[in-house]
Amino acid sequence: MPLSLSDPAWYPIASSDDLPFRHVYQGQLLGRELAVWRADDGNVNVWENRCLHRGVRLSIGINEGQELKCQYHGWRYANRSAGCTYIPAHPADAPARRIENRKYPVREAFGLIWSAANDDQPFAPFEGSEGHNWFALRPMPVAATPDDVVAGLMRLAPDDQPADILPNLAVKLGSAIFFVQPVDADRSVIRGLLPEKPADEITALRHYNEMLSKLRDRLERAAAKKPAPKPLEPTYEKVSVELSTMPDIAVPRGNTLNVVVKRKWQSGDGVIGFELADRDGKHLPTFQPGAHIDVHLPNGLVRQYSITNGPGDLLSYVIGVKQEGASKGGSKVLVETVREGDVLAISEPRNNFPLRRDATRTLLIAGGIGITPLLSMARFLDKSSLPYELHYFVRSGDTVAFQSELEVLHGSVDTHVGLGRELVKAKVTELLGPYQFANHVYICGPGSMLEMVQETATALGWPDEAIHFEYFQNTKPVDASSAFDVELARSAMTLHVPAGKTILETMRDNGLTVASSCEQGACGTCLTGVIEGEVDHQDVYLNKTEKASNTCIMTCVSRAKGERLVLDI
Amino acid sequence: MITLYDFELSGNCYKLRLLMSILDLSYDIVPVDYFPGRENRADWFLRLNPFGQLPVLKDDDLVLADSGAILAYLAKKYDPSGQWFPDDPAVTAEVLRWHGVADGITGSSAAARLALSYGHDYDIPRAQREAHRIFRLMDEHLWFGEKQGRDWLCSPAHPTTADIACFPYVMLSEEGGIARQDYPALRRWTDRVRRVPGFVVMSGIFPAGRALS
Repeated sequence: MPLSLSDPAWYPIASSDDLPFRHVYQGQLLGRELAVWRADDGNVNVWENRCLHRGVRLSIGINEGQELKCQYHGWRYANRSAGCTYIPAHPADAPARRIENRKYPVREAFGLIWSAANDDQPFAPFEGSEGHNWFALRPMPVAATPDDVVAGLMRLAPDDQPADILPNLAVKLGSAIFFVQPVDADRSVIRGLLPEKPADEITALRHYNEMLSKLRDRLERAAAKKPAPKPLEPTYEKVSVELSTMPDIAVPRGNTLNVVVKRKWQSGDGVIGFELADRDGKHLPTFQPGAHIDVHLPNGLVRQYSITNGPGDLLSYVIGVKQEGASKGGSKVLVETVREGDVLAISEPRNNFPLRRDATRTLLIAGGIGITPLLSMARFLDKSSLPYELHYFVRSGDTVAFQSELEVLHGSVDTHVGLGRELVKAKVTELLGPYQFANHVYICGPGSMLEMVQETATALGWPDEAIHFEYFQNTKPVDASSAFDVELARSAMTLHVPAGKTILETMRDNGLTVASSCEQGACGTCLTGVIEGEVDHQDVYLNKTEKASNTCIMTCVSRAKGERLVLDI
Repeated sequence: MITLYDFELSGNCYKLRLLMSILDLSYDIVPVDYFPGRENRADWFLRLNPFGQLPVLKDDDLVLADSGAILAYLAKKYDPSGQWFPDDPAVTAEVLRWHGVADGITGSSAAARLALSYGHDYDIPRAQREAHRIFRLMDEHLWFGEKQGRDWLCSPAHPTTADIACFPYVMLSEEGGIARQDYPALRRWTDRVRRVPGFVVMSGIFPAGRALS
């Protein structure tokens, strides 16, 4: 029977023992090479054995526990989703999050790892598998066609006890079952199972190994005399252009997904933790360290919360919500009315706070609830064995959130409790030190602290591109008193923006669909290019250099200084 | 003072760099242009090693050739733990047996690599077949070793020069067109070698990820 690339049957492709932690196994099924690896949470991933970047084999990559890193260029792919989490050439969110390596279905059962060429058939245990404690033999690769190997196994049976042929290239010889993995048209692996663990394991393993070695040698001698069948020719699909290129403007809001509140708890005084999971137990989309989700609240508001998870940890997202902010509408609803078991709509993760992983020194500075994105960053750096220093400033010892999560980190983690403003500034000055090449600092916390750290860093010679920050909200008063015209270059429209109305609102009133999220100049979603005119920046998203360049604007709060702005939209 | 006559892309030279890095020895390097310069055939080099092979190691006035012999010398002289080339006669025999296998790997896997990448005139299919024959035996040896709680080629609970001698041309086999897909236990052993403290890389040999602590 000729092998088919689209054969939907499940075949064993490895033994469970082949997949120790932090190893990448190289397998093959029906001509397709596979990179198979076990993540630290026990999950087994079966992926196409190609890094999407240049087609280098992922089986020579590094299994970091929750991500697989391609050694050639540093691309990373997350456990479960196979989503790319890092492209060294552009560390920003887009488009890495949306690129996924090709995955194959996987099941671990009976001491073997099973996979199939596609998802067309659900996994089904083999006949008679129930009620035994199956024991895997040493696999035996054979350079012969799968059909010839099945025939060879059949001939091992004594005349009075003929072998049973089972579906999907399997043979039952006495109580032992031998599965033939169709590696390619001309190559196979025999994977044997005994129904129980033998009393003397090594002797039994040696016995079957010798038997199968002899069979292999006979089959290979016979195969060498026959014309070799043509190997199967799988096609390696390329990533589409729109996924593999960087979009000019912020990624439009994707679809929302519904998640269930799996757990809600007090994490430190004043911070409520929420664990959000897919309703069917599937994994959530890949995210990057520093990414946030928009949470659609029951009262219609949309608020951004950072994901605190570590790499490849996709079975739920954990966010932290500050109780104090409860007076400000959004968080109040979340803290007071949302209970465990409730369903919320969230956006796909977005990242305005990308983490570089090529720094010689990474300094993370958190104030209060600002710990959430930095916890995620620390976890990523931790898993990659990259050095980092995390400094967490809190008002009192009770306000430390995610304490137990911080305690298991291996990096330098310091909590600074109850320091006054001047002492915080002195400490930050000491921590930053004079700028050195390839140093990066990440700051998240209250607005006043962000400004202080930025000013301090600038004074110490740190360039803007080495200072990374994320505001949770824009607390500055917005001056909407100006009135001006905006010319929309691509849309060929000129609109008048009156006092008291934003550019964003004006565009929407005129029938344009424009992406936005926080609508307070903090999240970066409505970032738009500026072609002409001087911008009156009122956001906290852009850094000083970006503002001074006068080439971009956050249309939700910022305005024109003159009478006219030309926007690239 | 140790001096290594070295060619960066030679797996046999790398064996010595690897052990000296593990033993934290300092040494000088004299680069020998093996390819394309064929400097190993120059008179000055043949006076050091008439066999014309790299590596050569000088330790003060002592001149040594043959990577396996030099590994044994370095371990016996500079390894205070005595682990890398153990004194136990039975273990010594085991180590030397694998040094012999390492020569077989050089004669097959490295020969295929030299033929494919450096234009040497060797019978490529024959070299590849021989490498696969050795790798099959090694994979079986290492697979049963894992089942019996042995992580390395020889019986001690730690690596020896046998592991260093066999390692480079196993890792570089793809450059000779010899895939290691059929040898999962061999692949796991290369991860373990790459996690030995003091491990250094060479072109074509990458580090392994950190083991789970």
